[in-house]
Formats: sequence, C-alpha cells, structure tokens
Amino acid sequence: MSEVTLPAAQRAPEAESVSPGRWVRENLFSSVSNVIQTVFFSLVLLGLLRWVLGQIFSEEANWTSVATNMRLLFTYNYPTEQFVRIWFAAGALFLAVGASFAAWNLNPMVTVRRIGVAVVGTGAVSLVVALISPDTTPSAVRTGFLAVGIGLVVLALAVLKVVPEPHRRQVPFIGMLAGVAVLVCGVLWFFPFGDYGFADGAPTAESGTIDSSTSLPVTVMFLIMIGTYLAGRALARVIDLGWLRRTMIGWWVIGPAFVVFLVLRDPEFDWGYVLAVDVPMGAAFAVGGAVLLYLLAKPSRSDLARVIGALLVALALFHWVAAFFGWYPMLQKARFSFALVAVAVLLAPTFAGERAARLRFAGGWFGFMVLFHWLLTGINTPSTLDIAAPPFLGGFVLTVSIAYYVMLASFPLGVLLSLARTSKMPIFRVLATTYIEVVRGVPLITVLFFFSIMLPLFLPGGMGISDLAAVFAGYTVFSAAYMAENIRGGLQSVRRGQYEAADALGLTTVQRTAFIVLPQALRVSIPNLVGQAIATFKETSLIAIVGGFDLLRIANSTIPNQPDFLGQKRPALFFISLVYFVVAYSMSRASRNLEERLQEGQAR
Amino acid sequence: MSIADQALTEEMASRRDMIVCRGVKKWFGDFQALAGVDITVKDREVMVVLGPSGSGKSTLIRCINRLEVHQEGEIVVDGVEMTNDMRNIEKIRSEVGMVFQQFNLFPHLTVLDNITLAPIWVRKRARVEAEAKAMELLERVGIPEQANKFPGQLSGGQQQRVAIARSLAMEPKIMLFDEPTSALDPEMISEVLDVMKDLARGGMTMIVVTHEMGFAREVADRLVFMESGDVVEVGTPEHFFTNPTEERTKLFLSQIL
Repeated sequence: MSEVTLPAAQRAPEAESVSPGRWVRENLFSSVSNVIQTVFFSLVLLGLLRWVLGQIFSEEANWTSVATNMRLLFTYNYPTEQFVRIWFAAGALFLAVGASFAAWNLNPMVTVRRIGVAVVGTGAVSLVVALISPDTTPSAVRTGFLAVGIGLVVLALAVLKVVPEPHRRQVPFIGMLAGVAVLVCGVLWFFPFGDYGFADGAPTAESGTIDSSTSLPVTVMFLIMIGTYLAGRALARVIDLGWLRRTMIGWWVIGPAFVVFLVLRDPEFDWGYVLAVDVPMGAAFAVGGAVLLYLLAKPSRSDLARVIGALLVALALFHWVAAFFGWYPMLQKARFSFALVAVAVLLAPTFAGERAARLRFAGGWFGFMVLFHWLLTGINTPSTLDIAAPPFLGGFVLTVSIAYYVMLASFPLGVLLSLARTSKMPIFRVLATTYIEVVRGVPLITVLFFFSIMLPLFLPGGMGISDLAAVFAGYTVFSAAYMAENIRGGLQSVRRGQYEAADALGLTTVQRTAFIVLPQALRVSIPNLVGQAIATFKETSLIAIVGGFDLLRIANSTIPNQPDFLGQKRPALFFISLVYFVVAYSMSRASRNLEERLQEGQAR
Repeated sequence: MSIADQALTEEMASRRDMIVCRGVKKWFGDFQALAGVDITVKDREVMVVLGPSGSGKSTLIRCINRLEVHQEGEIVVDGVEMTNDMRNIEKIRSEVGMVFQQFNLFPHLTVLDNITLAPIWVRKRARVEAEAKAMELLERVGIPEQANKFPGQLSGGQQQRVAIARSLAMEPKIMLFDEPTSALDPEMISEVLDVMKDLARGGMTMIVVTHEMGFAREVADRLVFMESGDVVEVGTPEHFFTNPTEERTKLFLSQIL
C-alpha cells in the first residue's frame, strides 16, 4: 500500500483581539443612526444613573437605619446570646458548599484577561459614578469613588501588561475562591463602615470598622469553605467521586431540615415520651419495613409485592378517612410512615434483584426511616406534624429557609403531577389536570389564606397545623403546579423513538420514565424551572400578609416604625433590593453553568 | 402450500417456528396498513422484507414486538401468543431485539451505559458482569475504544453499531432491523452491514427491512415482497432476482435494480 502523506495539521488562526477603541468605533459609531442612538441612550442612561445616585446619596437618605438594623434584617429576633447557633448553621452551609464544589469539580474556564477586563469595567463604572453624581453627594464619597475607580483601572491594566499571554492563562477555581474571600473579608475588617447597633433601645454609632463579632465568624466561614474545597479535591484522588456526589446530594436534601429544626431551634425534649413512644415506633417501622422489603424484593415475588403494596395503599388511605371521622386515634407520624411503607412496597418490583441489591434496598429504607423519625422527633410534638415556627425565625433567614424548602418539596411534586397529566390512565390525567388548572387559576395569596386560615377549620380534632407549616404547604402546592407545566413542556420534547427503544429493550414504564424520559425532559426544562424557583424566592414576601416577618416586611414596616427612623423606607428598600438581586442573579448564573455542563458531549 | 411456507428448503422446513403471523390485519384509522399477512420465520433464518414505501413492512415488524397493536389475526413468537396481557408482551420483548432507522440511542448516557442499562435493570445482572459483556459486544462490532463517549460524539455508522450491541446485550433470540442503514452516509453503510452479516452467520434469527439488495442477495434465506399491506411473493434470493413470479414483483425490481 502506498504511503499517503497528509498535510501537517494546521492550527486554526487565532482570533484577532480587538482593541477597545476599535470596538467602540465599529459598534457604537459606525453610521449616522448609530451615532445618534449611542448619544441618545447614553444621555438617558447617565441621567437615570444620576437620579439613582441622588437618591442614594441625598441628605435625607439615612443609611444608618439600614446599618443599625442589619441584625434585624438578617435574623429578626434571634436572641443575641444564642447567635453561635446561627454561625454554626452558616458554617455547616459553607462546609457543604465547599464540599459540593470539590465533588463536582467546578472549574469554570476563566482567563486572566476576562478578570482583568471585568476589573477595568468596575473601575470605569466607579469613575463614572464619581463624575456624574449630583452635587448633594458628600465630597468624601465622591473622592472615594474616584480613588477606587482610578486604583482598579491602573491595577488591572498593570496586571494585564505584566502577565504573559493573559488571554491564555487560566485562573484556577481555588484562586477565584480565595480572591472572593480576601475581598469580602478585607472589606469587613478594614473598610471604615462604622459600628452601628442598638443598645438599650436606642441606636448607637461608632466610627471605625465593623464589629469583630461579625467579621471574625465570616472570615472563619470562608476559611471553612476553602479548607473543605481543598480537602475535597485531595480526597477526590483517592475515593470514588460518585459516592461523594451522592452524599452531598443527600446532605442538601436532608441537611437544611436538620440545621433549622435541631440547631436553630431549641428543642425541649420530653425524654420520657421520646423513649416510650417515638423510639419504639420508629424502630418498628424501620426494622419491620426493612424485613418486609427484603422479602418482597425477590424477582419471583413481584406479583405478591404488587398485591401487598396495593393493599397497604388502601389501608393507608383508610387511616386518613378514619382520622377525618375520628373512628380511632392514630399518631400522625404513624399514618405518614404507613403511607411511606406502602409506596416502598409498590416500588419493590422495580428494585428487585439478587441478594446484594435487595440488602441495599432494605438498608436504604432502614436509613431513611431512622432519619425521618429522628427529624420528626426533633420537632417533638406528640401527635401532630406541627412544625412550630419559633418567634425568633425571621428576616433573611426566614426568606431563604422557606424558599429553599418550597423549591425542594415542590420539585418532586411537580414531576409527579406532570407525569400524571401525561399519563395514559384517565384517572391520573383528570385529577392532575384539575389540580393544575385550579391552582393556576387562583392567586398565590388566596392559596396562602386557604392553608393558614381555612385548613385548620377542616382538620379533624386533635390535628393542628402551625403557621409555618401552613405557609410551606401553600407555597409548595402553588409552585408544584407551575413546575408541572414546565416539566410537561420538557416531556413533550422527548422524541418518540426514545420511548420505543426503551420499550424494545424491555424496560418497565417506571424504569423508562426514571432513566430515559425524565433525564432528557428535565435537561430541557432547566431554564424554566430555575425561573420558577427565582419567582418562588421573591414570592416569599407574601408571608407578611399571613403574619410572617420576612425580609421585605421588616424593611417596609418594621424599620419605618422604629421611633428613631420613623417613615424612612427608601434606604432599607434599596438595600433589600440589592440582597434579592444578588441571590436571584446567582441562581440565574448557576443555572446557566448547569446547562453548559449538561451539554458536554451531547450535541444533537 | 400456504404462502407462508413457500420457498422453504427441506432442511429449513424442519426447523422450529420462531415467528408465526396468521391473517394479521392492522388499520391506522381508516387506512389499512396490513391486509391479512401470513408469514412464518424459522429458527436461525434470515428473512429480508422488501417493498415500496407504505407497503406495511415496518408496521409488520413493529407489530411483532408490540410497538404497534394489530387488530385482527394472531402473532405467535417462540410459542408465546401476542395478546394484551402485559406479561406475554414483556416475555416476547425480552426475546426480541430491535434496531431502528434513527438509532434511538439514549443521548444522556455514555455508550457503555446505553448498553448496560437494560441488562442491569431488566435482567438484574451485576454491573461488573454487564460491563464486561458490553465491552465484549463493542469489540465484536468493532468500536471498543468508544465505550466512554456520548452518542452525540459518534458518527452515524458507529451509533448504529452501538445500537446493535445494545440490543445484543439482552441476548435476544430474534433480531428485528427496521431499515438500519437508510439514515447513514454511503461510506458507513458497509460497516453496519458487515456486523449484520456476522450476526447472520452466527445463527441469529433475523428479520431485516432494507433496500440493500446486495445484502439481501448475499445473506437472506428468504425474501418477502410486500405491497399495500399484502405479502405478494416469498422466495429465495436466486428465485427473486432471476425469475420472480408476480408481475408486481417484477415491476418493483425493475425500478430499483
């Protein structure tokens, strides 16, 4: 065979880097109409900016109202002596974040050049602010912005000149983490914000930097996050990443409940009751259920499992009816556990297999039951699922907690609803469609009112529902309907061939849905789902109407009602808009990163 | 002799019936796709189904693994009758593998996961065992190095070969091929046909709907010509390509050869 010499592989020519001056000329001033538009919109934008700055820096705006009430805004009435619990909870959160970063090997490709350009941009904005802010701005502020602007621009340009090939050099993730940590901690330790607080009901103000009781724990948080990230990366070389990822997913689902109910809340345990009733009941369901599942998960017993599962579901439903009519008393926890056993038995045929698989299935059930009963016992109410809201959960902590739990709970519910709506069986279709259309046709506030005011009237005697649980249920019911529609859109995007291939291979309907259809449907629905999540986060402000003290209510009514800051709404509202924006934008960016990661290697 | 048993050699006639279709009729609304089909496929036989588009060839093989439901007649696969009973359908589907025109690989799973998914969850095999078998199959179809890639990163011919390996992983007794090479570029058709020829030589019972006449001539035991939902003619390759009986068959062959 003759040798064929192929031309040496050529590298694609490098994209020309365009100088800023050239970019401006080409994009902003290339034609007469472009020039007119550039000038017009620049004037509009600058005018708008000047007005906003005027609002921020005017003399009436009393920013001390925000500074003094920082603690209130973030944690409302949490007693100061027990603040260590808050920091512990935050520490657990940062630890989980660091571990998650390590487990999923987050490594966005950011070049030195991109960071340099971002810093130059920030400096330029700072300069613009310094130059166009109105005359009412105190001169100290103006010079401050001027200095920061010039400093950033000079620093960034110097770095870009000094570092060789800035458009190629990548900044490692740990570098960015460290950079953010240094920035935040530096500002907290060294920037002369001043120390504000309340003492004996009157606001106090001291010049200087923020009190170390805030800066120190925050610094520790960042150190924990970075330390965990490094440890995680080191560990990743040795242990199986898959196990670490599964652990982190488990933590994010269960951990926050643990944190809120056992750490932040001071449980008053009635040990006698716990040992006499709660522990035996939990053990009975855990062990009994595990044995039952182990026996039923044999492939040859699939039919038996299905029959028993159906019987248990009927029995579980009967319990609820009995509760409604008061025929016999049964602990709420037991009713729930029973329903869960029924579901697990119905799932046994799908997870049936050899001895090892069955042990894993039964073991999983055992662990789940232990956790479930432990969490509920931690709330320690004898007969009701009463997630009592301690009066000292409020502010930012409340907003984030509610939003997180609602998102966590409404997602599986939304998935089930969308599957029911597209099911071939009429009963599921009708029920799901009715649910979705009714909930979508009603405003959120109505749903909240129903759950917090009307539902307690319908419940049988002895069953109660706390404010927080009612709000949580209302939001979940509402959000699930919207999520269901988003996911249904994704379901419709899965090609018919996928269903056929799964059927031809002999997968059951459950397996096909779980392994083939849902992963593809969810990938497509991510932008919509995250949009829904962001909306949920912002809608938490409606708790105010049913009695909760979330971030918006504090800024809107609590602060302006304080005798020292009567009627001052604007500074606080500006501040919380910033907080809302930071959280919502982070979710947005995270969703885009997620989409990019999921697209790897999957180009259609 | 019924048309179903036509053209069987003595040796083949003595083999077991793998698929028997008797009077199978199917309508899509008012349109009749199958108008009383009688076919018998013997053990280890390679049957190639030909016909113009709309003749019902794809519908027929999709009825065999219940991707379509026939309204009249009966279909018996390896002694199990195809009814509405889900257990029969599951039993039949576990013995019948299918390869589609559009490959239908699962895009969110790697090639290895695509192949091991069904053995692990349907046949309940251990992961290690399933992966070993999958690598063996990938070597058999010639692409072991692609095991950890995603389907989107493979060429059409490679994807179809993965699809064949995926079906083979379930150790079926019968393989159905619905125009496996129609969506491929010409230079990739031969690599897929080679795999199919290899399968045939290994003794797999196959029904292949295709337009590849070279393949039919070389590998098929019998050819079936369908038009408008009817089986027009059944014959051996020599009979078909040299001296077909029916006029419609002659017309069809003149158009494509």
